[in-house]
Amino acid sequence: MALADSRALIAPKPRPGRRPPGLFATIVRRRTDYLYVLPAILVMLVVIGYPLVSTVFLSFFEITSSGERVATGVDNYQRILTDRRVNFWKITGNTLYWTVGSTFFATVLGFGAALVLHRRFPGRGVVRAILLIPWVISHVAAAYVWRWILHSDYGLLGGSLVAWGALDQTPVLLDSKANVMPTLIAVNVWKEFPFVMIMLTAGLQTVPEGLLRAARIDGANIWNQFRHVTLPHLKGVVLITTLLLFVTNLNSFTLVWLMTGGGPANASALWITQIYKLAFVGSPQRGLASAFSVILFLIMLGLGYFYVRALTRGNPDQGAA
Amino acid sequence: MAGMSLREVYKTYDDVVAVDRVSLEVEDGEFVALVGPSGCGKTTTLNLVAGLIELTDGDILLGDRAINDLDPKDRDLAMVFQNYALYPNKNVFDNLAFPLKMRGMKKGEIDARVRKTADILSIGPLLDRKPRQLSGGQQQRVALGRALVRNPKAFLMDEPLSNLDAKLRVQMRAELKRFHQELRATVLYVTHDQMEAVTMADKIAVMSGGVLQQYGTPDEIYERPVNTFVAGFIGSPAMNLTRAAYVAADGGGFVRGSEGWEHPLSAVNAERAGRSSGEVVVGIRHSQVRIYREARPGTVAAQVYTVEPTGDLTYVHFRLGGQLLVASEDADFRAAPDDPIWVEFDQDHLHLFDATTEQALFRIGAAAANGTERAREGA
Repeated sequence: MALADSRALIAPKPRPGRRPPGLFATIVRRRTDYLYVLPAILVMLVVIGYPLVSTVFLSFFEITSSGERVATGVDNYQRILTDRRVNFWKITGNTLYWTVGSTFFATVLGFGAALVLHRRFPGRGVVRAILLIPWVISHVAAAYVWRWILHSDYGLLGGSLVAWGALDQTPVLLDSKANVMPTLIAVNVWKEFPFVMIMLTAGLQTVPEGLLRAARIDGANIWNQFRHVTLPHLKGVVLITTLLLFVTNLNSFTLVWLMTGGGPANASALWITQIYKLAFVGSPQRGLASAFSVILFLIMLGLGYFYVRALTRGNPDQGAA
Repeated sequence: MAGMSLREVYKTYDDVVAVDRVSLEVEDGEFVALVGPSGCGKTTTLNLVAGLIELTDGDILLGDRAINDLDPKDRDLAMVFQNYALYPNKNVFDNLAFPLKMRGMKKGEIDARVRKTADILSIGPLLDRKPRQLSGGQQQRVALGRALVRNPKAFLMDEPLSNLDAKLRVQMRAELKRFHQELRATVLYVTHDQMEAVTMADKIAVMSGGVLQQYGTPDEIYERPVNTFVAGFIGSPAMNLTRAAYVAADGGGFVRGSEGWEHPLSAVNAERAGRSSGEVVVGIRHSQVRIYREARPGTVAAQVYTVEPTGDLTYVHFRLGGQLLVASEDADFRAAPDDPIWVEFDQDHLHLFDATTEQALFRIGAAAANGTERAREGA
């Protein structure tokens, strides 16, 4: 070590115009810098790297009931796309429906709430706190409470509607193939809109007062002030919030799994609930579940790229795009 | 264009009085500067006129129409802001077109007016650029253009030059003045820089503590400040102000500083000082102090503190009693620190204020004195 050190010290500095030193040489030369990030890298390797590699590995095997590993090549990938029991295309459709629907309505509702709460009125703080509740409640608690409220036979909602005479019989929501997705999306929007509200409330507070004043003098009414000053200013925040929600919703599991388990008849099954089912429920098919995960990982990687681009866009310091 | 009147304009925030019954008349085509230190209420006054904040009491008239209760967009006033407030997502053309679009003007006419305005301000080549691609001076011009394009009844300007560097500020000052003279526009202009006010405005309104201290032409304000605040605020270097006791004597009298120095007063000035409570504040501009190298009758002994040659003239800071005062001398005047000198205040240009009320003690029937010639320093 000491020898290597002294060599590094006496080694001539690379002359300009010469080939730049290789990656390994750079790491050796700047080893202290790398040592600082080493613990973080080690943790990442253990909790992300190892599962990632082992999942990719597993996706090329089938594990028999006796626990034996049998190499199957790309069989698992083929089965995912063709096997009717996996139902990949139907589930992908569900997931997109769920993700786009939840993201869109949560954004609209959250934006509306942020705008309303941006104006001063008595009790604003209290209203803001109340609207935040869905976001801070745990997913599990929310799922169980909503399952009870929406239950087809003795749900609070159905019961109340019948009792008030609005309906003749309790509505079938979570147990109907047609109604289950809109119902779940509604619950998810309820859970997620406060996040949008918070992000946009923060954004609204940075809209330059001077620009709004200039717009008022220039003859803009409330709508035009919003359209020409506020909205352009919030474009970045809206984009990032929407992307963040989009990715979160693509990865949704808890709410749907606890409320319907993906049923009835896979009508509300999403990517992640289906992977979980394949891996851990009934007769587990780990290889198949792993292949599914790998496909999903690649899709997420693509989305992650767009997310990072959106985050750094228009900011030359970060040198993206 | 139209004149403007503020009548007893009053604005409070909770218990704080921001603007305290300010009244002033702006004639059609007049350039009026609202000047005062930070927090004096000048910007609040401007925002009240613009309608961006609500009046607590009083009236604002544009022409002969009360505009108190009108929305800013219905007041037909244009405003230029300190930080320009250009719409960052719109290019220069759309920034200029915005107020016209908001008024529902036809596309062809918008185009014609924007291009004409751009020509006047020579920003034609910049029409496709976004504000962030413009220099400070160019942004300033676009902001002015956005006000100009509407052809409003009057212009409100909120420290429009204070974000520019010193050199550009002087240049834009001249441009603004020229623009006003060509258009004969009614302008209400807020600034904390008394030099801007003095050089550009037809009339100056000096404010302090929410109260209008004095309203008049730059000459009036400079020659006949009504109180010690105005006297000390307008002019650069500031007017020398020093407290002294008035002592009556045959053929006039004199003022005596607390450290014992005595300066004689002419009969006229003695009469003015005689109306005080006994203590006066003597005010004298640097250009009206004469410096001698040896004692003479009617002079006061002082010591040089430091000498500042500026090229055109030399400022002589000197100690009179415990106080530092300033005089201006010829460019070639030189003296060492602590050199003894004898100073004389020009009796015709002596300002006297009552030390208790801080109000000016004017010569009786002295209106004619306003015509006296003066050297406007620094400009």
